[in-house]
Amino acid sequence: MNLRKPGFLAAIALFVLLFTSCIKDAPLNPEADIDSFIVDKKFLTSDVFIDQANAKVLLYLKKSAYDSGIVPRIVVTPGATITPPTGDTLRFDSTGTQQYTVTSQSGKYHKVYTVNVVNIGTWAWDFENWMIQPTSKYLYPIEPDSTQIWSSGNPGVSLAGVPKDPSAYPLRDTTEAYHGNYSAVLETRGGTTLSGIMGIRLFAGSLYLGVFDSKYALTQPLAATQFGQPYLGRAARFTGYYKYRPGAVYQNKAGKPVDGAIDSCSIYAVLYRGTTRLDGTNIHTSDRVVAVAQLPDGSARGNFTRFDLPFVYKPGAITTGSMMLAIVISSSQNGDKYEGAIGSRLLVDSLKIIHE
Amino acid sequence: MRRIYKVLIGLFLIIAAAGSLQAQDTTRTFKPFLEHRIIAGFNFGATAPVGLPNTIRAIKGYWPEFTPALGYELSLRATPKWGAAIGVKLDFKGMGTKDEVMYFPTVITVKDGSSTGTFEGTFSGKNKTIVRNAYVTFPVSAVFTPNNDWRFSLGGYFSWKFSSNFYGTVSDGYIRNGGPTGEKIIVDEASFDFGGDVRKFDAGLQGGAERRVGKKLSVMGNLSWGLTPVFPKDFKGLDFPLYNIYMMLGVSYKI
Repeated sequence: MNLRKPGFLAAIALFVLLFTSCIKDAPLNPEADIDSFIVDKKFLTSDVFIDQANAKVLLYLKKSAYDSGIVPRIVVTPGATITPPTGDTLRFDSTGTQQYTVTSQSGKYHKVYTVNVVNIGTWAWDFENWMIQPTSKYLYPIEPDSTQIWSSGNPGVSLAGVPKDPSAYPLRDTTEAYHGNYSAVLETRGGTTLSGIMGIRLFAGSLYLGVFDSKYALTQPLAATQFGQPYLGRAARFTGYYKYRPGAVYQNKAGKPVDGAIDSCSIYAVLYRGTTRLDGTNIHTSDRVVAVAQLPDGSARGNFTRFDLPFVYKPGAITTGSMMLAIVISSSQNGDKYEGAIGSRLLVDSLKIIHE
Repeated sequence: MRRIYKVLIGLFLIIAAAGSLQAQDTTRTFKPFLEHRIIAGFNFGATAPVGLPNTIRAIKGYWPEFTPALGYELSLRATPKWGAAIGVKLDFKGMGTKDEVMYFPTVITVKDGSSTGTFEGTFSGKNKTIVRNAYVTFPVSAVFTPNNDWRFSLGGYFSWKFSSNFYGTVSDGYIRNGGPTGEKIIVDEASFDFGGDVRKFDAGLQGGAERRVGKKLSVMGNLSWGLTPVFPKDFKGLDFPLYNIYMMLGVSYKI
């Protein structure tokens, strides 16, 4: 037993050498985020949203704030620096875009944020203009003034290791249009090995007015889909055209086929109070909801079919103060529960909100 | 790989040459003979980087997995003190570790049917990794036997992997999509499995000592130091190479 002891000691010494004593100094922070962009609420029609995936600060300003400019308080990653510095007035009178450059503590990384003032001019969309996200290669529709007011589950799907190709994502454009050259196509897709680990075996195609907050994409995917844009006035009807073909086999959350079940699509609009967005967890249940316009029957439609949905107001609902309006469209009605049929395909075009 | 084999062969030749020099001094009455041994023990060690990268901030825990080794060794005593040995061993190598990492780069390749996608990012948070790889190992050694009680060996080994486990979880942190400037995604707990990526072969240096404790029984310790990284070059799950570094503690029985 003489040998056992020194041998064991040698093994322990080896580990001390390999592990403990070799912990090196912490690397300098390579991150360069704008963590928060604080603007007094009285200037805003909706909360500021920082689109970290695309390095954009989205501002929803009242007209007076737009005219006078704002002085944001900007918080960046610890150790990082920003130019122009926080405390400078941000003016919107010039035509040039407003940009902030954040440099990481390590000095190696820079992130250039663009400030976008989002205005929803006309509440009507033909989905003619699409952009491609540069790194993950998914498509998203943009407005004629190049701002983005529509989002989808695509940024979340991009985290699941799908091929970097627009056709790999549930939402994209198609030339099969009702009006103009393009329409939006939403297709329910199968999950990936990586998403399967999270218990997600299906990605429903989605398209909604709002933003996608990647931060929650893995922990609380439904909270990542934040619905709504600031709205003024009283909405009367939600109209548009759609075409729908359910996929062949309906599957439950576990990915098992459900006999006899047929997928259906979901198209609805929700008007609600406040400036903070509702999300996938509370859009149906929040007491801030004022009115809902919903497609009653999401079954198959072989040709583009018109819908005209009245907003049904809750009795006694208060419609003054700040309001937001969400449009939420999905190629699988229970896509938020990761149920549906792979291959379900929904096309929408010429959407419109008609005001009273 | 090539270079490692050259090193191993070179080492073997040097030791063999030293043995034959020694042989000239010995009496003419010695006749070379063969010895057979059964070897059994456990591997203690790590599949680890040599020198921790600065993205690993703390090692919070380490434990050996159930990693037995069982084999047979054939040795030729060419001279009274020198000889050579070859063996074949069923060789499990594994461990578990808990650590904390910061800005740790990883690329996960996802194959689904015919399509291949990747997820690339940097993770900051906690990590738990369990490794348990099973090999058939062929050690080749020069053996020095100074007296009846002690026996020392030095040489190399080749291993062929027949099963592999390399899995774990990342938790309580966040991952940045694409790299340090990508969007931050909070991670409560997610699992990973790189078992399928572990390389089929391993080769390295090994050496050890045996002390006789009975008529035929010896206790032994044998350090094997892998020189081929556990994952192939194109594997991007970790951005540094890992090596099998294990100490086998056990017994040998002369038959």
